[in-house]
Amino acid sequence: MISGKRHGQLVSLLALGLVTGFASTAAMAEDSITVTSYGGTYQEAESKAMFQPAAKELGITIKEDNLADGLPDVRLQVQGHAVKWDVVELSAEECVRGTQEGLFEKLDYSVIDPSGIDKKLVADNWIGVTFYAVVLAYNKSGKLGENGPKTWADFWDVTKFPGARTLGNYATESLTLAAMADGTPPDKVYPIDLDKAFKKLEEIKPHVTSWWSSGGQVMNLLKDDEVDMGSIWNGRANTLVKSGAPISYTVSGGVLNADCLVIPKGAKNVTLAQKAIAKFISPELQANLPKYSANGPANLKAFDTGKLTAEEAADVISSPQNIKKQVILDFNWWAPLLPDVQKRWQAFLQE
Amino acid sequence: MIFSGDINAASLARDGRREFYGMAALCLPSFILVFILLILPIGWLFWMSLFNADGAFSAENYVRLFDSTYTSTLVTTFQVGFLVTVISVVLGYPLAYMLSQLPPRLAGLCTIFVVLPFWTSTLVRTYAWMLLLQRKGIINSALISLGLIADPIRMVNNMTGTVIGMVHIMLPFLVLPLYGVMKSISPDYVRAAANLGAGPTRAFWTIFLPQSLPGLTAGMLLVFVLCLGFYVTPALLGGGRVIMWSMMIDSSIRLYANWGAASALGVALLVMTFCVLWLVNRLFGLKRLYGESR
Amino acid sequence: MQIETKSLAEVPSPPPGGDRGKPMSQRTGDMRSQPLTIKNVAKAYGQLKVLDDVNLDVGSGEFLTLLGASGSGKTTLLMVIAGFARPDSGAVMVGGTDIVRTPAHKRNMGMVFQSYALFPHMNVAANVGYPLRLRGAGRVEIADRVARALDLVQLGHLGERRIDQLSGGQRQRIALARAIVFEPRILLMDEPLSALDKKLREHMQIEIRRLHEKLGMTTIYVTHDQREALTMSDRIAIMDRGRIVQIDEPRRLYERPASRFVADFIGESSFLPIIVEAGIARFGDLVLKTGGRLDTAPRQLLVLRPEKLEILGSEQAPGLNVLSGILTELIYQGESFLCQIALGEGHTVVVRGPTRRDTLAGLPELGGSMRLGLHPEDTVLVPDA
Repeated sequence: MISGKRHGQLVSLLALGLVTGFASTAAMAEDSITVTSYGGTYQEAESKAMFQPAAKELGITIKEDNLADGLPDVRLQVQGHAVKWDVVELSAEECVRGTQEGLFEKLDYSVIDPSGIDKKLVADNWIGVTFYAVVLAYNKSGKLGENGPKTWADFWDVTKFPGARTLGNYATESLTLAAMADGTPPDKVYPIDLDKAFKKLEEIKPHVTSWWSSGGQVMNLLKDDEVDMGSIWNGRANTLVKSGAPISYTVSGGVLNADCLVIPKGAKNVTLAQKAIAKFISPELQANLPKYSANGPANLKAFDTGKLTAEEAADVISSPQNIKKQVILDFNWWAPLLPDVQKRWQAFLQE
Repeated sequence: MIFSGDINAASLARDGRREFYGMAALCLPSFILVFILLILPIGWLFWMSLFNADGAFSAENYVRLFDSTYTSTLVTTFQVGFLVTVISVVLGYPLAYMLSQLPPRLAGLCTIFVVLPFWTSTLVRTYAWMLLLQRKGIINSALISLGLIADPIRMVNNMTGTVIGMVHIMLPFLVLPLYGVMKSISPDYVRAAANLGAGPTRAFWTIFLPQSLPGLTAGMLLVFVLCLGFYVTPALLGGGRVIMWSMMIDSSIRLYANWGAASALGVALLVMTFCVLWLVNRLFGLKRLYGESR
Repeated sequence: MQIETKSLAEVPSPPPGGDRGKPMSQRTGDMRSQPLTIKNVAKAYGQLKVLDDVNLDVGSGEFLTLLGASGSGKTTLLMVIAGFARPDSGAVMVGGTDIVRTPAHKRNMGMVFQSYALFPHMNVAANVGYPLRLRGAGRVEIADRVARALDLVQLGHLGERRIDQLSGGQRQRIALARAIVFEPRILLMDEPLSALDKKLREHMQIEIRRLHEKLGMTTIYVTHDQREALTMSDRIAIMDRGRIVQIDEPRRLYERPASRFVADFIGESSFLPIIVEAGIARFGDLVLKTGGRLDTAPRQLLVLRPEKLEILGSEQAPGLNVLSGILTELIYQGESFLCQIALGEGHTVVVRGPTRRDTLAGLPELGGSMRLGLHPEDTVLVPDA
């Protein structure tokens, strides 16, 4: 026993030496890349689940940076011909806009394998990496108690479910959920009848006391009981519930949105960045994500890797059983409409 | 005598010139700074506003300002500015008056309290107002528990909250210039008025108020102009329902990366500010507000 | 003018307070002005007594000056009279009525401020018309009375001027016009001429005096300028540390100061120690002729005004008190000169003389001895406090 253990220690020591030796020479040869995401606990989760394991597998160093503002940061670097980042994570909508502005390199799908990722999240210049959802939540401490709204049709029913509401100041998300207001099932939402969706929003508008524009804001609105119900990102809702706030939310009818990866135009290590992206979205690393984050894997093959048990999968926003109850925001559908929709959205809020 | 005087005159003139150039050299850095940081950017802003999103020379950015989206934002912006200014005057005038009548040491202490908001973050104060004003906030809870109201009053995420938060931030901008002018009004004037037969009310309206007007106008102008470009507080306390001009500038850049449109909005704001200044100058005379004392 | 026609013999007779006012009032025949009486007025800021039991009678139509150094309480007393300061105790009576509780704006007193306090946002006519508007006078009446008031101060043509377009002297007159236009029963003036240059000040002194004789308003005038006080007043009240230390006509005040403080405050004086024994006053060995009045206090001071001393030659000077000493300093001042003379034992006196050729010629070299004569009528003794 004793000698066996000692022997094992020796082997692992040797192995460690070899691996680290290899890794360091590889890093020196292959240089390093910089990956940028939203920072905070979310990026820490990504780092542990995907970025650092990928670095290890590729034998490179991955440096990390944080976004200050999102797309404007990338725009500034690209237009200023001073690109520091190799891989950047942005919201899907920003990816669409950035593509229209020509800010990104094309992705090399001979290196990156997009199978397992929904077609709606695969484009020439960007690819989905994590899922999050806009879900319906309500405050249980109000008059409704536990019997709050469960569907967007409930949310629109102000006689049965009276109270103050909040919706996101995000046109694509709020219009998509408005399309479910008359009971349309998630899989029938697209293509959206925009006139009808705006009309629905017009209907509920008098009861929407605030249009939130950040995750922190909507958390406060619900937690402080400033509103009785509202749309909220699933990660934020999850945090609220965990912190003991009297909030209940339902994944059913959620609007799945995604963060995507891009390579800024003029990045210094494009080839390596392509390889890194391929690793980040590989089922193996994607399957690590739920352990650290409320965001779900964008690559649905992650659920076939066996890394996640059935119970664990049930809690993941993008697991097969959950994804059926929700609608995926179709940015390829939105892309050409975006400028007009944004203008119309502003006007709608103004009235 | 005459000869030596001439030599002297030449060297004295040289000294004078040297002094002038010396002063000019000392002023040069600030002139350059103003040019680089003010004149150039404004010129650039104006230049950029003349190009549309595709980079073509056009008046498109200005034509767009007449869309209903923009005009209604303009109305909101002026509405907020007007309300905040009026409420600041109603609250600030008596405050400045009290400060100006206190003995110097006490006045100094109280001025610190007035200025204190300057030293705390606008963001923090705005969030604090949120906690105070919201549906289950301190004010509503207090009013309900006192039985004064049955249902909570909506004081935040709307115009009311925006105006309350902005008044709080703007008050020092009104009070300080006003206090300065009031302090310079000799107590002899009010005494003289009393001596000549004017009761306190009459003396205030006919003597004190007219003399405090330059400070009041300066303060109101400052508050109103600052309101026109205000961003943080309406963005947070307006609940997305109070959309000010500055937010349009923000979304033009952040959402659409349309520098031309944003520049046009910036130029329009600048022009509006100048219009307000021009109007005030016509009505009251700016020279009397700044610099020239009585 | 009045004062100078009086004979010297009249000076010693003590006139009761307020008597001087009456002939003045009768002279102008003005019945609007009223007497003012201050009774036991006291005011303190903490430990500091600003006014310490002040009593004062001002006759109807009298021109009374409060004279004192800064901090003596003269301005505070004026503020109490005007109603801008509330006394801790005491009464302010006008025409027999106590007005100590009447607010300032109901006291109907005109006041000229040191700063003039002309309202900068009104023109001259509006300033002067202000008290009339407050009293509800009609437009025509206001215009008429403003014009008359401005004529009175000889600025009838300046009605439309802005205040900042006026010179200091003009402002002073406008302030005066505004204070009298509503015919107040009492006129108060707080160092009204202190901001003017010397020539203008002297001119205005005479003008205000003339105006007073014309209108006959009871006037309280505050100044720290003794010459101004002497020139203008019917009577002067000298204030020191919140008290009135002496109140008298200008000439009596100068000629017969009651204390070392007053003698020192008004005019220049040298003081010599005097011992009084058995009705005889002496300075060292010199027995003083005192013109009949002698207080019994054993230690007193002789007040020597520089211009009252006569420089004597070697001639006898019967009837004069004669002092002799050594000339130590001579200062030439244009119309007069000053000599400093050491009398021995550390005592010095200062003598003023006209710069006439013969007077100057009679002076010895520095270090030479001099004889000085003092008339018994000018031999003034004050208590050595």
